Formats: sequence, C-alpha cells, structure tokens
Amino acid sequence: MITALIVDDEPLARQELRRALEPAKDIQIVGECGNAIEALGRIHIDKPDVVFLDIQMPQITGIEMLGMLDPNNMPDIVFLTAYDEYAVKAFEKNAFDYLLKPVTPERLELTLQRLRNGVPQHDYDALPEASRLRQIPCFGQNVVLFLKIDEVECVESRASGIYVSDIEGKERPTDLRLNILQQRTPLLRCHRQFLVNIDLVQKMHYLESGLAEFVTRSGRVIPISRRLLPEIKARLGIL
Amino acid sequence: MDMHSVSALSVLLLQQMCVYLVVAYVLSRTRLFIPLTRASIRWPHRITCYLIFSAFCIMGTLLGLPVVKGNAIANTPAIGAVLGGLLGGPIVGLAVGITGGIHRYSLGGSFGLAASIDIVMQGLIGGLVHRYLIKHGKTRLLFSPLLAGGLTAITIVIELGIDLTLSRPFSEALYIVSLIALPELIANSAGAAVFVEILLDRRDGIERQSRAFSAKALEIAAHVDGVLREGFDQENSMRVARIIYDQTGVGAVAITDREKILAFIGMGDDHHLPNTPITSPHTLHAINHNEVIFADGYEVPYQCSISPSCKLGSSLVIPLVGENKRVIGTIKLYEPKTKIFSTINRTLGEGIAKLLSSQILDGRYEQQKNLLLQSELKLLHAQVNPHFLFNTLNIIISVTHDDPAKARKLLTDLAVFLRKNLKRPIADVMLSDEIEHIKAYLGIQLARFADRLTVEFDIPEHLLSVHVPAFTLQPLVENAIKHGTSQMIRTGRISIRAHQDEHAIFLEVEDNAGLYNPEPKGDGLGMNIVDRRIKNRYGESSGVTVSCEPDVFTRISVRIPLEAKT
Repeated sequence: MITALIVDDEPLARQELRRALEPAKDIQIVGECGNAIEALGRIHIDKPDVVFLDIQMPQITGIEMLGMLDPNNMPDIVFLTAYDEYAVKAFEKNAFDYLLKPVTPERLELTLQRLRNGVPQHDYDALPEASRLRQIPCFGQNVVLFLKIDEVECVESRASGIYVSDIEGKERPTDLRLNILQQRTPLLRCHRQFLVNIDLVQKMHYLESGLAEFVTRSGRVIPISRRLLPEIKARLGIL
Repeated sequence: MDMHSVSALSVLLLQQMCVYLVVAYVLSRTRLFIPLTRASIRWPHRITCYLIFSAFCIMGTLLGLPVVKGNAIANTPAIGAVLGGLLGGPIVGLAVGITGGIHRYSLGGSFGLAASIDIVMQGLIGGLVHRYLIKHGKTRLLFSPLLAGGLTAITIVIELGIDLTLSRPFSEALYIVSLIALPELIANSAGAAVFVEILLDRRDGIERQSRAFSAKALEIAAHVDGVLREGFDQENSMRVARIIYDQTGVGAVAITDREKILAFIGMGDDHHLPNTPITSPHTLHAINHNEVIFADGYEVPYQCSISPSCKLGSSLVIPLVGENKRVIGTIKLYEPKTKIFSTINRTLGEGIAKLLSSQILDGRYEQQKNLLLQSELKLLHAQVNPHFLFNTLNIIISVTHDDPAKARKLLTDLAVFLRKNLKRPIADVMLSDEIEHIKAYLGIQLARFADRLTVEFDIPEHLLSVHVPAFTLQPLVENAIKHGTSQMIRTGRISIRAHQDEHAIFLEVEDNAGLYNPEPKGDGLGMNIVDRRIKNRYGESSGVTVSCEPDVFTRISVRIPLEAKT
C-alpha cells in the first residue's frame, strides 16, 4: 500500500485528482492540504510515501516547500501544474515526475507504475527555489511557524533536536538539520553545534588558549570552534 | 564755336556711352552686381562697390574722345564717381574719385589736373548726397534714375567751372569747354540714369526670381506635408511625385526606394514603370554613396537605362536619407533633351529631398510608436493566462461529475470571458459590458478558489451605461487575484466599485491582500497598459493610481474624465 498526500490550493482540483486515483486500489490517500504550510505539518506527522504537489500556492510555493523538508525523510514527489513552462523544463531536465492538469488516466497510470517500482532519491536542490530558503519552518504543537531568515539570531543543535532562536531570544524546534540550514540559508556555521546570523553579531571576543566567541546584539554568547576560526576570520575580513 | 563739331562729338560720346552701358548691363547679369542693388553699410559690400565703380570710372575715361590734340578728353568718368559715392557713401565716393583722378592725371594734357580734381569732386558730391539721403530716411531715392541723372548733370556743370578756373591758357580752356560741355552733359546724365535703371532692373530680377522660388518651394512643402509621414510606400510616393511634377514643371519626377521605382510621373512613363527594379547607374550610385548626382547630359552624360528612344536628356538624383544617415531611397527630377535643367529646379529638388527625408523619418518613428502600443494591446487582450485556462478546464472536469448544472455555468462563463477577450480592444464599451466581462472571469475564479475568495460589486445603476475604454477593469481584477488574493492563506476579498464626481468617473478595484509591489517581478504590464492608454487619450490627469497598506489592502483607482460634450 502506498500512502499519498494531495497538496493543491484549489479544492475542486484536489477532488478531481482524488477521483482519478480512486481506481488504483494500492494508493491510499491519507490527506489533502490547501497550502504548503498545512502540508509541511501533515508530511511531518503522517509521513506519506508520496506527495502530489501543486506548484502555485499562496505564500510558499510547492517548490519552496521542498527545501523545507528533511532530505533524509523525503517522500516521493509528483509535481502538479496547469501550466508553468519554466518549472516543467526544470522537471524534465532533472527527471522529476510531474503531471499536467487536467490529468489524463494514461499519464497518471505511468506515474503510478513508477511509484510502485520505487523511485530513486532525487536531489531537489537543482530547483533554485528549493535550494534557497527565505524562511525556516518551525514545528510547534499543531502549528508550523515560519521564521524569516533575518529574524533568526542563531540555530543550535542539541541532543534533543535543532532549535532556532529569533531576535527576541525565543527558541523553537525545527526538523531541518543543521547542515541543511547551512546549505540553504546565509546563516554562518561557527561551531559544530551552531549557526549564527552574522548580521546580528555585535562583537567577537578572543579568549585565552586561542579560542573566540561571538556576542550578539541581544547579548547572547555563541562559541566559535577552533577548527572553524581561521575560516570565519577570513570570511569576515579579520586578519 | 563750331556747332557742327559739338553735335558730332555728342553723337560720338553717346556711342561710346553705349559701349560703356553694354558692359554695365552684361556685368549686371553676374553675381558681382548683387551687392550694388542694396544700400549696404557692410564693408565687403562697400569694397565691391569701390572696385566696380572705380573700374567704371577708369573705363569712362578710357572710352573718352580726345579733343584738341589730346589736351582734354570728352569723357564719362563722372558716372562711376557719382554713382560710387551715391550708392557707397562718402568714403567709397572719395576713394573712387581719387582712384579715377590719379588715373586721369596719369594721362596728362593741359586739362589733366583739372579733370582729375573733377573726378574727386564728383565722387565726394555723390557720397555727400548719399549721406544726406540716408540721414533723412530717403534711401529709396538712392536708386532713382532721375536723381542720378540730375546729380551727374550738376557735377558736370561744376566740373566745367573747375576746368575753366584751373586750365591755362584760358582761351584754349574756354574753347575746349564750349566744345565738350553739351556732349558731356548729355552723355553723363543719360548714362548715370540708365546705369541706375540697369541696377533697378537687376534688383527686381533677383527679387522676382527668389519670390517665385520661395512661392514654389512653399507650395510644394504645403502640398506634400504629411503625405510620406503616413508611410513611404508606392501610393504615397505617387501622390508626392504628382505634386512635385505639377509644381516644378520638370519633364518627369520619380521616387524610388533602395530597390525599385515607387513612383514615376511625366515624360517616359511608358517605360519607366513603378514597381520595377532600379536600373539607372546614377541612381544606384546615389543610393550606395549617399551623393547627389546631376547628369546634365553634357558634362555628365545621361542616357535612359531602360529605353534608347527615351526623350529624357538630363536627370538629378537626390538621396532620401533616413535613420543613421542611411539612404532609404531617391527622388529624381528629369528634363527632356530639348530643355535645360534649371538651377532653380536643382536647388528645389535638393530642398524637397530634405523635406521628404525628415517626413519619412518622422513617419517611421510615429509608426513604430503606434505599432508598439498596438502590439501591447493585442498582447493584453489575447493574454488569456494559460495557467488560468488549464486550471479552469481541470475544475470543470471535476465539477461535471457532481454538479452538471454548475459545470454548464462555468463553461458559459468561460465562453463569455474568452469571447470578450478576443474582441478588438480598440473601441469603447459600456461599463456594463466591462462588468459582464469581469463577472464571467470572477465566476470561474470563485469556483477555483471556493471558500478562499469573495467578491463584491458596488456600481451605481446610472453609471452602467457610461462609456469606458474596453479592457480597463479586467486586467486590474486579474492582477488583484494573481498578485493579491491568490497569495493569501486566509480568505481573499475583492471589491469592484464605481463612482463619479463632476469631472470624472472613478473605477476602483480593491483587494485585502495588500501585497502591491511597485516593481513586480511578474508582469505589471496589464496595469501599465491600462494607465498609458487612458493617459494617451485623456491626458496626464487621468489614469491609474495605486494606494496600498501592506497586508491590509491594495486599491487601484482609474480616473476617466467625463468627456466634454461637443
């Protein structure tokens, strides 16, 4: 049995896809979402095998949403679009599966065949919108909160998970791992456990024994690892 | 005193006078004389005046008749001196007098000294009269033949007095004076009068010519005005060629582009056919080198390149120059073998070519501007967003299963929307038409976004019949959804309103997204075109204004002035 989530901002379009999938007895639709924010939550909770993902959606597009998912727990993605030349070109180039609305039964069957045979892992970073995050999704109790990058002070990795601190010092857990955030945001890796928003750093303290640490505007102290120090100094233009 | 020799001398002197005047007449046909036809204070003109009248003064002496063994000369230097002064002023007069005087003195004779003083005196008197007339605003009298003749007569009388005073022996002087008095008086006064008459004639000639020239040029300019602005094509070229042909009276007129003859009118139109390729080497040269080619049939041979029996014998080819000095064609004037190509027509031809070139250029610019606006309009009205279209088809497919009536309604909305979109957007429509258009559009959008979109209309009944440019509201409503409400997670609301004050109608489209971005990444094209079209038509005070409070609302307002009733 393959579990599926349908994500599209048009209710009638979701309904139509649900109807088209009905004959496929091995597909179990576990839910429908009207936007990417809802979808992130559902993917997080239900962990569907496949997501039918519309591209054009309010605030966060389908492709942007992909960049917010943990690449190691990535469902199979089937993109949906009515018409988007650029996106379709990119899908073709990267051999991503996509369906054009309205969907013909034959084309849908082809997609289902692929899904049944097992889809190789894709690297969606090839899509620029997926590789650059404008905001970080933080999962709370029944809610996904989006923090804009310039509102993030630092990100810390602890044994219990990854935590994002905003400029007011409030901490929220996120599902995205530190190295993904390092890749997809301008946040600077300064320690094995820390990313920092360099725009919010007020000073750098040199400590005895050749170590150093950042102090942010809010007064928070963030350690800098010995290994990364030369690289950070070079990046900041400090000799 | 011998009456017989006096009358014989008079006749002889008059004969000499004739030679003198013929020279004057011939010279008057040259450009040399142009400065003499105006009382001018400019130095180059005065110098010309000095040189010419000195020459005439000396010629007057040389053409004279020696009397009494060459002691005296019955002659006419007075004309040059008096007129030099009269037309050139005291300084020119004095200079002419001195020049003529020195020359006369060098010829010697018992009258030599007196005669040279005479000439200086005559130049001076001419100059003084000039100054007097100018001072008293009687410039016109400078060119009065009567005055010139009279003044010369007076100076001759004074001259004779001086001769009698200065020449010795007195008896001989008296004899000579009695001999030359009458002939000199007659010849000099008549000569001066005729000389001025010649100048007057020349002046009128120049004026007549330039008047005729200006009139012709103006006539042609007025007639061809704007013709080629409408496009440099065969039909318009034909019209222009006809005008030039009629106005200049040349043998034939042709207009070509770079490859072919666009128009040909006049002699030889049996074989010079429009829409045939250019064969004339002169024309090809003019096009390739951007040069005016004048083949007069003598110095530069001319032979019609099409027919050996062609009656045309000379041609003037002038390039028409467009953008970046690129030759876009030529205009050609022809004269038959039996007629000489007039200078006026040559000059006119070049002037006309300049005029036409600038018109064509203007026309191209205008045309491009119009094309641009038209293509943008076309783009706008044919711009059925494919994303919208396929999404619509998709939901209609979905609806057919559960609610065939709703599916029919959606298909009808789509048909209305497409039909209105395909209509030419040039004309005005009633506001009710525009509302119908957006209602069809919104009917579909409401189905697509279901619970995420609401729409409200507030259009007073009496405004439904006002005329507005087609395609004014629809692009704005489309923008409000595309860049506004479709980007919202919560429910979007779109209000479409109309109201009016005493000067204008206002159409407003407001959404509750407040996402207006002055430099939209996507296409602000629709709104820009709406704005430009309305401003183009109603002026800068009309058009689109945007107000936006981020995350609260974006309001687009179109102001359309109530058109003044004519």
